[in-house]
Amino acid sequence: MKAIVWKDTKKNIDMLLKKHQVKYAVDFAPSNAKIEKGYISTDGINFQFEVAIGSVSPFKDDADVLKKKTGLISVLTLEELRPVNRHISDFRFNGKKIAKLTGFMEGEIKELDLVPSATIEEKIDPEVRKVLADAKKMSFDMPLSIAVKIAAKRAEIGEKSYKKLIKLVQEDLVRKAIDPYEAVGIIAAQSIGEPGTQMTMRTFHFAGVREMNVTLGLPRLIEIVDARRIPSTPSMTIYLRKDLEKSEEVARRVVKEIENTTVLDVADVITDVNDLTVSIKLDKAKMEERLVEFSDVSFAVEKVRQVNITPDEKTRTIVLKPQQESFKKLYQVQEQVKVLTIKGLTGIKRAIARKESQDGPYVIYTQGSNLRMVMDIEEVDPYRITTNDIIEISNVLGIEAARNAIYNESERTLQEQGLEVDRRHLMLVADMMSFTGSVRAVGRTGISGRKSSVLARAAFEITTKHLLRAGLLGETDSLTGVAENIIVGQPITLGTGSVNLVYRGNRKSD
Amino acid sequence: MARFNVLKHEMVPEHSLVSKKEEETLLRSLEISKELLPRINRNDPAIKALEEISGPIPDGSIIRIVRKSPTAGSSVYYRVLEEGVFK
Repeated sequence: MKAIVWKDTKKNIDMLLKKHQVKYAVDFAPSNAKIEKGYISTDGINFQFEVAIGSVSPFKDDADVLKKKTGLISVLTLEELRPVNRHISDFRFNGKKIAKLTGFMEGEIKELDLVPSATIEEKIDPEVRKVLADAKKMSFDMPLSIAVKIAAKRAEIGEKSYKKLIKLVQEDLVRKAIDPYEAVGIIAAQSIGEPGTQMTMRTFHFAGVREMNVTLGLPRLIEIVDARRIPSTPSMTIYLRKDLEKSEEVARRVVKEIENTTVLDVADVITDVNDLTVSIKLDKAKMEERLVEFSDVSFAVEKVRQVNITPDEKTRTIVLKPQQESFKKLYQVQEQVKVLTIKGLTGIKRAIARKESQDGPYVIYTQGSNLRMVMDIEEVDPYRITTNDIIEISNVLGIEAARNAIYNESERTLQEQGLEVDRRHLMLVADMMSFTGSVRAVGRTGISGRKSSVLARAAFEITTKHLLRAGLLGETDSLTGVAENIIVGQPITLGTGSVNLVYRGNRKSD
Repeated sequence: MARFNVLKHEMVPEHSLVSKKEEETLLRSLEISKELLPRINRNDPAIKALEEISGPIPDGSIIRIVRKSPTAGSSVYYRVLEEGVFK
């Protein structure tokens, strides 16, 4: 959908807000395309108002509000301004994004893709559905994975065996289901802990993907369950859009776009102590390799304060002379210039495009993570991109995606070490960590530290703090857990201990 | 960030709203009270996307989540929408 977007002053917007329908004279000539909507921004980045545009006509004297006093070209009939919250990245101008809006522009809105994709339930094969229905008749729910297998073999084994098979599955499911009040958490802890001791303590914890290091093994596992805000080696796996994923050129371009490039990467910084200047001598070959243009560098250099900048495009040098004549200042400028970011995304130190197989698609691996910004890149497939930063996933994609990430990461870490842990234990850990809607660590600061029972918390870590707090606030303990019952010397509420039996005796009737 | 539907990301399972009518039968069949269900935050990106599709979702609504499960094929999970932090 085409729309006119523009930057306007608060004063003009206030005038537009006064009336239901306004004729607004502007210094902009829209094209002939059908335009229905307009978006107004005060800062050129965030758009606060949406407006329906009724008609566009050449400028006459009948306008209600004037954008400026001179140079007016056309009149837009605006109907009712409505507040919206849109960002500049929602718009495309001739298929391109721009960073900031200055005047009027005609752009296209990139609408949110709201059409729901087929749900798992809808995708189920009719044959499988029949199997599930048959199971339902026997009053149990069959797991989808089993139903798929049975449906595939149904014709082969014959109707009679099929009926028998369903019956067998039911019996098996009942027999293998976990018993009520079984201590699943303890079992999970043991099942992960025991193979964990086999992890070599410090060796083989890094796996090199060419020049990239990724934490693996025990340190990584600890990182996952501790729910660290930032992992020690954040890393992203970026997939390209399906239609572009085989192009080496596109992959290279994306790599260059996200990789953080500093001045030192493309130029030599020379300090002249005699003239008290710092000159940046750009290297043409390096610039081409990193897709940096002269204007990019001169724009970046403007961030340096209190210097006189003289750029010279012909010789590709930029000379900076500090306004204050001192060696100290000169040294400061030199150090600042060296690490100045020219382009790239914050946090992404390196990016490498790799082919997983011959004629396979290109996949980009990065050192450093910035999910939000990378998703914004046109060539990237935002629906497949992942990172190993679990907290970032929970912020950008939600708690359920974070749960999946916890499970996937821990499963992968264990598998890489050649350890076999039943998936259900890892799922339980992931579920517990995401129970409250945000990712919580396992331990004092997370799951154990938030238990409702005072005694259970005191039994774990920092005993005095919990007891003192409980005493001050007058907390009560209902003695429903395990630890607190051991402390007071009662049977624990697990297994048979969870059942309360009352023997009434044999009342004699007189 | 560009507007994109997080619900379509491959790591995000299906989220859908359980209607008020279904809620009661659901809680009865699970033999659980609402307070004991896992939570989901109001600011969760998946909730925001869901609100964009089906309008505002009141606090205390139950969200049905259908996950892809490596063991069972698919599994259903429920979360209660709650503002603020769970204690």
